[in-house]
Amino acid sequence: MSFKKSKNSEKNQKETANKNEHTTLKYLIESLQAVQKENELLKVQLLKTRQIPSGRIGFPLLIIGALALIWSIVATSTILAFIGIGLTFWGALFFFIRPIRFVRGTLLDSTAIASYTTIDRIIDNLGYKGKALYVPPYPKDVYLPEYLKGLKEMVVLISAEETTEMPTIEEMAKKQFMVENPKGICIIPPGFGIMSMFEKELRTDFAKITPENLPDTLPKLIITNLELARNIEINHEKNLTHVKIEESVYKDLYSPEHRSRSVQLLGCPLASAIACALSKSTGKLVTITKNTASPDLKTIELSYQTMEA
Amino acid sequence: MQFPLSLSDISLWLAFTAIILLVTSELISPYSEQFGDFVIEKTRLRFVALFLGAAFMVTVLMRIIAPF
Repeated sequence: MSFKKSKNSEKNQKETANKNEHTTLKYLIESLQAVQKENELLKVQLLKTRQIPSGRIGFPLLIIGALALIWSIVATSTILAFIGIGLTFWGALFFFIRPIRFVRGTLLDSTAIASYTTIDRIIDNLGYKGKALYVPPYPKDVYLPEYLKGLKEMVVLISAEETTEMPTIEEMAKKQFMVENPKGICIIPPGFGIMSMFEKELRTDFAKITPENLPDTLPKLIITNLELARNIEINHEKNLTHVKIEESVYKDLYSPEHRSRSVQLLGCPLASAIACALSKSTGKLVTITKNTASPDLKTIELSYQTMEA
Repeated sequence: MQFPLSLSDISLWLAFTAIILLVTSELISPYSEQFGDFVIEKTRLRFVALFLGAAFMVTVLMRIIAPF
């Protein structure tokens, strides 16, 4: 009898446990569905807030303004004319100040990651353990014979071993990818494009700017003109330049999941552009000796060392 | 039927709008160029502000040269 009772109670317990499990599962599914619905709604809301085309604001203003202007002429009303002229102007302004093309800052990282991963693979496969040396090019307006024209290109040398030796001028002029003495690879720096944009904005070559002027010139370009960072501080000493970048658009390259050896060696595109500018301005080799980001990635601290070739 | 605004009215409007735009273009954050969720091109805004300022100066010159 007692055995039967215990069997029954066990059965009851099992049934209750099953019921409880079923209820919990049902509750979880329901809450998951609710969360998914909420997620979809939030996505739609986010999309709406992100996409407010200026044309959608400008067009109604323009039409109402034009109508008010016409009406003011018909009714000879000064107030209507003021309203009309104001609305028409703001409508036209909304069309005019609409940016031609804006891309999200996060896109910059994703496009840069591929190049850095490729450089990482090359360095790892070749087993290189050396430094990255930014080699200054010859100024654009200097005459060079045809066979030396390759020297006008900005390159960064990643050497196999830690050395400050440089390949011969002939070797550099050949625009070779691999150099033999010292063993290493010559690549175009990741910040070369940005450095060219700096020069375009300045309408001058960095070779014509003294290194003492860089702490005044570069922040304006980076913060105001190209808006690549929220703030930047540059301190130039004799052979060392310390740079502190706040809220760089390339900050995600320093995140633990993206951070690679090449980012450490060459710096993010902005850090690389500064190295290029420094190298061109001083006419010396430049290497990045410190390249660290704060844990929240808001601040990037860099140290550049210049040295004679 | 004639346009109800005189040269002095337009001059006043130009001055007022130019000041508003110049102040706005200076106050906009140089970092994000954003008005909340509305993205604008700051350099063009400044260009318009300066253009309106110049237009105001032209109206002032016109009033000096030919006041009647």
